[in-house]
Amino acid sequence: MSPTHFERAAEATPPMLAKKIRGLSDRAIAWIFVAPTIFLLLAINIFPLIWTIRLSFTNFRVNRPNAEVQFVGLDNYRRILSDSDIWLTMQTTAHFLIWTILLQVLIGFSLAYLINKKFRGNDLWTTIIVFPMMLSPAVVGNFWTFLYQPQIGLFNYVVGFLTHTDPSSFSMIGDVNLAPWAIVIVDTWMWTPFVMLICLAGLRSIPGSIYEAAECDRASKWRQFWTITLPMVLPFLMLAVLFRGIENFKMFDLVVQLTGGGPGSITELTSINLKREAFEKWRTGYSSAYAVILFVTVFGLASIYVKALNKVKER
Amino acid sequence: MSSYSITEPSKRQKWVAGSLVIFYAVVTLMPLLWIIATGFKSPSDAIAYPPKVVFQPTLEGYVNLFTTRTRATPEMLVQAGEPKTWYDRIVRQYDMVIAGPSRYGERFLNSVIIGFGSTFFAIVLGTAAAYAFSRFRVPLKDDLLFFILSTRMMPPIAVAIPIFLMFRQLGLNDTHAGMILLYTAINLSLSIWLIHGFINEIPIEYEEAALLDGYTRFQAFYKVVLPQATTGIASTAIFCLIFAWNEYALAALLTSGTAQTAPPFIPTIIGTGGQDWPAVAAGATIFLLPVMIFTILLRKHLLRGITFGAVRK
Amino acid sequence: MSSFISGLMRFRRGAWEMLASIMIALGVVMMMQPFALSLFSYSFLVTLIGTMMFIITSHFPE
Repeated sequence: MSPTHFERAAEATPPMLAKKIRGLSDRAIAWIFVAPTIFLLLAINIFPLIWTIRLSFTNFRVNRPNAEVQFVGLDNYRRILSDSDIWLTMQTTAHFLIWTILLQVLIGFSLAYLINKKFRGNDLWTTIIVFPMMLSPAVVGNFWTFLYQPQIGLFNYVVGFLTHTDPSSFSMIGDVNLAPWAIVIVDTWMWTPFVMLICLAGLRSIPGSIYEAAECDRASKWRQFWTITLPMVLPFLMLAVLFRGIENFKMFDLVVQLTGGGPGSITELTSINLKREAFEKWRTGYSSAYAVILFVTVFGLASIYVKALNKVKER
Repeated sequence: MSSYSITEPSKRQKWVAGSLVIFYAVVTLMPLLWIIATGFKSPSDAIAYPPKVVFQPTLEGYVNLFTTRTRATPEMLVQAGEPKTWYDRIVRQYDMVIAGPSRYGERFLNSVIIGFGSTFFAIVLGTAAAYAFSRFRVPLKDDLLFFILSTRMMPPIAVAIPIFLMFRQLGLNDTHAGMILLYTAINLSLSIWLIHGFINEIPIEYEEAALLDGYTRFQAFYKVVLPQATTGIASTAIFCLIFAWNEYALAALLTSGTAQTAPPFIPTIIGTGGQDWPAVAAGATIFLLPVMIFTILLRKHLLRGITFGAVRK
Repeated sequence: MSSFISGLMRFRRGAWEMLASIMIALGVVMMMQPFALSLFSYSFLVTLIGTMMFIITSHFPE
């Protein structure tokens, strides 16, 4: 990356200026300022990461501290990557991922489009819509199980009222067919505002003069939408999709409180599956390998995300 | 904006857009209003069919949230005498007496301590590092910044495995210090990225002038840069606080008693026969309200916070 | 397209980063597709190579 404006300015500053006057050199200050952060990251991130990678080649189990720890090579990885149950949890995650992203993008973009019409009081309503995404997913997820109760739950009552069915005839979290949708609904409720906010920023970044020019060329509203609005918002949308993708790939708190992975293992997302392996079955070595696989995947997606971030930043 | 623009939406368009958005806002707000309302219902009202919108408000949920109660025999009730306080009276309706405070107060306090503690350290360390990244040549800067960001994206359960082992060795499991340390490390990524953006916006000329005036680098930092970055740092702090406040996965796995925060605790509030929904709702209300207030305060900086400073608006 | 290939030939960052991103995305799709277990088995390898490639190629000149 080329040096930023600030780096160039920093270089332009006479290097010995600070020292000449009194006090520490810039270099020393830079070190003092960055060192605690680096130290903390080494202790809480890098060291555990290396430890996980090391454990992933062993058969270590936390609940059997006296058993001999054996080096098993790539065995854990081989077992995980050929395990059809884990493959199934990946598909459960995929179902959750695809539908939540699709719904959130559709609803979020529409809302942003409407809010961008700048009706009176749009700021107030935007703030109200944003509430769900700021709240604790675990606490809110737990309360949604109450809304989903057959008979007494608000959600079932409203759906029953609108479709003229008996609210106690279906159970969103108890039914094998409905549970995957129960988690999609709550996640969409919670995170649509996120996509909306980012789309709104995208829409607001389009200069009005482009539309005025299109208007002069007699381009229809429909054409304007496809040739101006959508392409201009696309980088922002990419950002939102990638971020929601990463977040929902590792989704844990909301779903574990809503369904706990059940009924059976119908809503057992990857993170919930990993939690069972690591903290219920205590297969530490095995789950370390599992964790490394997730780490690498998220790290890869994160690097694409940062690329998308920089693209948006240039706008 | 010019006084008249052909791209300005018509009155009718605005009206349609406005009503659709307000409709969505009302629907999306329903679950939250329901939480608040349920907190003021009696247990029988809470599970009534059809769900009750109009009800006799009571503080039972809040009393149940903060106390533990035991069923008393008629003799014990006579011995206890007349109920002395309003909360005694509420409990007495069910032939119960208050046995003592519940755990909720402690758990809430833990959330406060861990939340504010980790925010404080994340902001102090983050501001220093962000200043250095912004103004000095730091070797491997871009890689470091990327690595710092990626740590935040890691799946919490995967992170919890080695942290659990490490904390167990160090005796940090279920301690405030351990949780503060962990949340500081996670929040650092956000604070560095956001404050980095805010400091980048402050013209470097101000500091140069200060340096020429005989300030040291350090003085220039806290007398020139810090005052200008205050708003940015404050909103970053609120974002860090909200993250630590809401975090569930690591808290659930690494704490069980002493240092347990509210999110893992609230779902475990059990009444007689199933969850005591008014008490759960009361606990949730007290827990969620501060975040809603912060959201209103933050509304101008929300976008920055959720995109790590990329979208400025 | 031809500029993409020439970018690859001359070790330019943009083209190689694009290739790495595609590999990562491919790995993720392979991991979550419901069609063949063998694709799932090799998904991690593809993602890992893509990620490594991304880290290395992001240091290529623009």
